[in-house]
Amino acid sequence: MTGVLHNYLIVGSVLFVMGMLGFLTRRNLILMMLSAEMMLHGVSLNLVAFSRAHGNYQGQAFTAFILTVAACEAGLSLALILALYRRRGTLDVTAWTDLGEAPAELPTIPEHDAPHIEQEFPRLKPTGHLPEVPEEETAARV
Amino acid sequence: MSEPIDQLTAWLIPLAPLASAVIIALFGKLFGEGSHRLTVTGLLIAFFCAARVLVMKETSDGTGVVLRGPEWMSVGALQIFADIRIDTMTAIMLCMVTFVSTLVAIYASGYMHGQPGYPRFFAALSLFVFSMCMLVLSNNFLMLFVFWEAVGLCSYLLIGFWFSKPSAAAAAKKAFVVNRIGDFGFMMGIFLLLMTFGTLDYDSVFKMAGDVAEQHPQTITIICLLLFVGAMGKSAQAPLHVWLPDAMEGPTPVSALIHAATMVTAGVYMVARCTPLFVHAPTAQLVVAGVGAVTALLAAFMGMTQYDLKRVLAYSTVSQLGLMFLGLGSAVVSHDLATAAVTASMFHLFTHAFFKALLFLGAGSVMHAMGDVIDMRRFSGLRRLMPKTHITFLCGSLALAGFPLLSGFWSKDEVLAAVMAGTHEGTHQGYFKLLAAAGLITSLLTAFYTFRAYFMTFWGEERIPEEAGHHAHESPASMTTPLMILAIPALLIGGLLGPTGFFGNFLGHTVGLGHEGEHHLHWDVMAISAGVALAGIFGAWLFYVQSPGLAKAGRTALAPLYHLSLNQLYLDQLFTWIIVKPLWVLGWIGLMIERFVIDALLDFIAWVPNLVGKALRPLQNGLVQSYALVMALGLAAILAAMMLR
Amino acid sequence: MSVEWIKSHWTLLVPLLMGALALAWMMPRQGKPRPIAAGLMGLAAVGCAGFFLLKPGPEMVESALFFLFAGTAIVAAGLMITSHNPVYAALWFALVTLSVCGLFLLQSAPFLSAATIIVYAGAIIVTFVFVIMLARQSGAAFYDQSSEQPTWATFASFLLLGGMLVCLGDWRGQSGSDGGMGGGMLKVPAVWQDRELNPNPLSTLPDTEAGVKAAGTMRGLGRSLFGDYLFAVEIAGTLLMVATIGSVAIAPRRAQGGL
Repeated sequence: MTGVLHNYLIVGSVLFVMGMLGFLTRRNLILMMLSAEMMLHGVSLNLVAFSRAHGNYQGQAFTAFILTVAACEAGLSLALILALYRRRGTLDVTAWTDLGEAPAELPTIPEHDAPHIEQEFPRLKPTGHLPEVPEEETAARV
Repeated sequence: MSEPIDQLTAWLIPLAPLASAVIIALFGKLFGEGSHRLTVTGLLIAFFCAARVLVMKETSDGTGVVLRGPEWMSVGALQIFADIRIDTMTAIMLCMVTFVSTLVAIYASGYMHGQPGYPRFFAALSLFVFSMCMLVLSNNFLMLFVFWEAVGLCSYLLIGFWFSKPSAAAAAKKAFVVNRIGDFGFMMGIFLLLMTFGTLDYDSVFKMAGDVAEQHPQTITIICLLLFVGAMGKSAQAPLHVWLPDAMEGPTPVSALIHAATMVTAGVYMVARCTPLFVHAPTAQLVVAGVGAVTALLAAFMGMTQYDLKRVLAYSTVSQLGLMFLGLGSAVVSHDLATAAVTASMFHLFTHAFFKALLFLGAGSVMHAMGDVIDMRRFSGLRRLMPKTHITFLCGSLALAGFPLLSGFWSKDEVLAAVMAGTHEGTHQGYFKLLAAAGLITSLLTAFYTFRAYFMTFWGEERIPEEAGHHAHESPASMTTPLMILAIPALLIGGLLGPTGFFGNFLGHTVGLGHEGEHHLHWDVMAISAGVALAGIFGAWLFYVQSPGLAKAGRTALAPLYHLSLNQLYLDQLFTWIIVKPLWVLGWIGLMIERFVIDALLDFIAWVPNLVGKALRPLQNGLVQSYALVMALGLAAILAAMMLR
Repeated sequence: MSVEWIKSHWTLLVPLLMGALALAWMMPRQGKPRPIAAGLMGLAAVGCAGFFLLKPGPEMVESALFFLFAGTAIVAAGLMITSHNPVYAALWFALVTLSVCGLFLLQSAPFLSAATIIVYAGAIIVTFVFVIMLARQSGAAFYDQSSEQPTWATFASFLLLGGMLVCLGDWRGQSGSDGGMGGGMLKVPAVWQDRELNPNPLSTLPDTEAGVKAAGTMRGLGRSLFGDYLFAVEIAGTLLMVATIGSVAIAPRRAQGGL
């Protein structure tokens, strides 16, 4: 009379993983959010199946709360996505990597201007490297 | 030594100048041009205390008093106390130092008028007098060394007083570096002394000197030679004399006080103080005498052709210091004459301080009037323009040249007598014949170049360089008064103290010096040196007043010698090529090692984390999905770990 | 991890690998359409999985419905995450939601089924599509034509799925060959039998015939939610309100001439 719990668990896990795959691969912010919702579906299915198997309402009640939170999440995420879209004019998630390390080259090491032997007063070479000061700034200091 | 000497009086001698130095250094801005009052006050206090110490019963009768100071350090068995020692030699030196420095300070208040850094000058001057007094007062070799370095530091500060002038800065550096060479020897000597004797106190060392000399005669010789190296550096003996002529870049009062009258005599004082050691090291004494003679002769030779008035005086100082060392070394001749020789040198040191300070201050007065021009070719005939300076300079010149019956005559005569004694006594008669000849030639040259300078400056037609401007008149009273005061001892003090035997008897109380016994007047030597001095003066008159063409002819005839003398024997160039350039190369090698080995290593150390960071950098690409992927992999890894558990 | 292990688990590994390959192959790449072969392979993977892994239940109709809904859900999910067009993706997601709701129905959760349809298909999807339309550039967006790190993502996802399925398979092995607990009720903990000690008495069905019959009724769920979870429901309501206010605050004002 009841479904086979195991089958439902398998279907739930497949849905969850496919949602995750969508979240990991899609570049569209909205599709990413949809994929996250699909992950929630997988979890909900799991809970409902267990609720049935255990013979109580706890799983179903939990699912009801998941629904609530998912609705909140969808509203908030859409608002955020709209705000982001207003900023950059695109839904591409790769446009938002400002907190990442810029793929920059190593800073080039400046040649030391060590004193020549002809110089009258030898100067000690400072440890490490001199900070580079723009020319106008050094001129202002003198 | 029955009753303690007045402690306060003794301690005030160094502490009054120190107090003025500290106050000026801290609050110099408040005093401004009034800073000299503090210095003069401090020095006057020191002078009166020194005079009081000089006439105290304990000083004049006993063999000296040691006042226990605070403990300075205690390392194992070695305990060093900041004691001060007062005996006749100390008292004489203190009186001389404080007297001359008081006059120089008064003079400097006029000379330095309007100079930026006026308080700084007087702070350094006071500090110098403090250091010099402590050097003289010290009771052990370590204190001697410390204040030896302190006077060197003050000398550096004062030579480089006009530090914005490159030549002055270079001269200060040169003086400091050359002194380091001597100080290195001095320090080694003190270390060896400590190793050998286990103590640094004068009394203990001198007491043990005889016993140690019997066991290790070589050690004593080495110690004495090393100590003498220190004295060579400080007292500008060849070949370490090169710093002194350059030191004339400093203000003239400094030249007068430090580089003529007091600091440079520290080496002579030290060797004289260590007489109880040196008598056990005849070899070292012979070396001292030889170096002194060579220096005296060479410096006199170099002084003959200089055109810079202060340089002439500087070479004269070197030459006279050489004469003093010659006298000290002559103590080797016989035990009976040792005291006489040391006394003669100290006496010459004493008189020399007065007339050389007088000469330098006179030169400073000329320089002041001529707008800082010191080249004698650019002025002449100043005797009517600056009568006071002229007369006092003449007094100093006569004393330096050894004009009969003046101070320099008596003291130089005694030194020469001590050397002459070696020609017919003792075991090194041939050697001493050479030394005596050198001494006599030096006397001749001294008289000649002194009066060359005098005649070139004050005789002939009146010429004034344009730099002088409206300054070309007699200097203010603050400058001429010290000149006149100094002229008196320059003329008379030798005659008062020398032939009467007063100085010798007084100094004889110093530990290690026996009583001189009956004081002799060496009529033969006096006759010779008087003749030599008069000949030199006459020669100078002939060449530079009577027929100036002769001087030009002489220059042409002896061109190689003339250039050798003018260029100071090319010693500076020689040192540059032998010592300075190789050091440059060494420094360059060090620089290369620094740049290509050490820096490369540092850069490598910085490069490794840089590389690691570069390798790990793509992980932090800021893309949410990358982080989520890593989370997913981590989750899978946890699951796998749980399954395989 | 030996050959032995692979032999005993080949029924699991084959559909897994096929599904992974198919999905990785179908991922959007430079705007090329999804290859039909990959789609066929995906279907085969779903078929294999259904054949090997799922066990039909005792009732024919229910099993048929389950396979229908499950197949639809999984195929639609695959199509959704590989779709080039976000609008189609949203529609495929709606289909996934409907299928999941069907599965809910089969699991005696009619209220959740209806609520999910209303909330997701009725509200969320519409809002998403609305936003998609709003933010739509002219023509297809380039970022929908390509995917980020597809290989690694597929690998990680299917590694996780494989792990979960292996765990499930082992669990079934332990609890017998009749399909695990599918046939009956799980044991309720002994202490919970005493209703005094049960933390959620209203959520627990009595282990009686009448209780089993009552399972899945809206009445039962309502008693549970407004009995045991009353406070949580209130908090959830508050959360919804806060989220509403937050969304309004976050969502940008319409600038002139812009979105």
